Amino acid sequence: MKYLLLAFAIALAACAADRATPPPPAASSPTHLTEPGDAIDQRLMVALSQAKNLHHKAKVFMSEGDMPSAIASVREILTLEFPAGAPEAEDVRDDARALLGKLLVGQGQLDEAMRVVQEGIAGSQRESFFVANLYTVTGEIHEARAQQLDGGDAAAKARAIDEKHAAIEAFDRSNQIDIALQKQLSEHP
Amino acid sequence: MTDDQEDYLAGPVPEPDAEASPAERAHAKTFAELVDKALAGRTPAAMSADDRALVEVATVIRAASGEVELPVARQRAAIEDALRQVIGAGGPAASGAAIVPLPRARRWAPWAIAGASSLVAVAALALLWLRGPRVAPQLAPAAPVAARVPATWRSRPADALVGRITVERAGDAATRIDTIFADRLDGYRERRLAVVEGGKP
Repeated sequence: MKYLLLAFAIALAACAADRATPPPPAASSPTHLTEPGDAIDQRLMVALSQAKNLHHKAKVFMSEGDMPSAIASVREILTLEFPAGAPEAEDVRDDARALLGKLLVGQGQLDEAMRVVQEGIAGSQRESFFVANLYTVTGEIHEARAQQLDGGDAAAKARAIDEKHAAIEAFDRSNQIDIALQKQLSEHP
Repeated sequence: MTDDQEDYLAGPVPEPDAEASPAERAHAKTFAELVDKALAGRTPAAMSADDRALVEVATVIRAASGEVELPVARQRAAIEDALRQVIGAGGPAASGAAIVPLPRARRWAPWAIAGASSLVAVAALALLWLRGPRVAPQLAPAAPVAARVPATWRSRPADALVGRITVERAGDAATRIDTIFADRLDGYRERRLAVVEGGKP
């Protein structure tokens, strides 16, 4: 009987040891499912919502002819905080820069428009339809410059030709990006 | 068996009120003495089969009345013999009581069960002891596996949603942001509702 009791005690100790073993942390389990880091979250929706409202605010200002306020509203979009690494952030900012460039062109601020657009192109991490649009606006800015120079002297006319060539190059670059993206999307929708 | 006894056993059954015959009286006296000796523990070594049967019947009747009790010394001797049988420390030779010795296999059965159980328990302990530290380091470096969620629940480029931006619509950013916001809001709601309903996040 005493040996049976001894065996029972050892078995109890084994069970206790099993229970005392701390379970591995959930994060280390290969079957643990966690929320992906790129899931659409509240921060992304808030940023998109703010960008949406600022665009409509700018639209209202434009309808009233208040272009400086419209430009200010669009500039505000560039300061919005998006979740780190969210692709939507780059797309929304590039689109805002494209609109801002057009608005500045309308105000005759061609150099500022070019700076805003070129910053967008330089800061983009990937090619997209929005980057292609920035090249389109770049071409429009070169066109606007060429128009301004066309009425000048011979030297100005020579620079106008350069601007026109630059515009053609920008439009071509925009088309190249569009074609490549459309092909990519048709192959991997 | 004597002739008187044979006559007594083989003869006709007497009437209940009939006077006992001298043979019957002698037989009754002899049997009474035999019963007294048996109850006193002085059973004669030899007796006839009929007398032995009668003595056994008398003993059973007396035992059934509940008044039979072994002497203290014999009670102790019987208990000690039984204990020796159980723990296997001694044989039944110490007492003449009719205790049947346990078979050898039955005597070793508790030892075998206890030994086997102990071995299993020790093996389980050893397994837990050896396996525990090894499993943790193997799993520790493993990165958490992200749940497979629909693409519409993820943050992603808006190219497929917006499509090519024509020159005429280059400045129509308000319309595009409306489209992007509506699409991402759908995905966000689907994901939140799936979490509430117990689906994957």
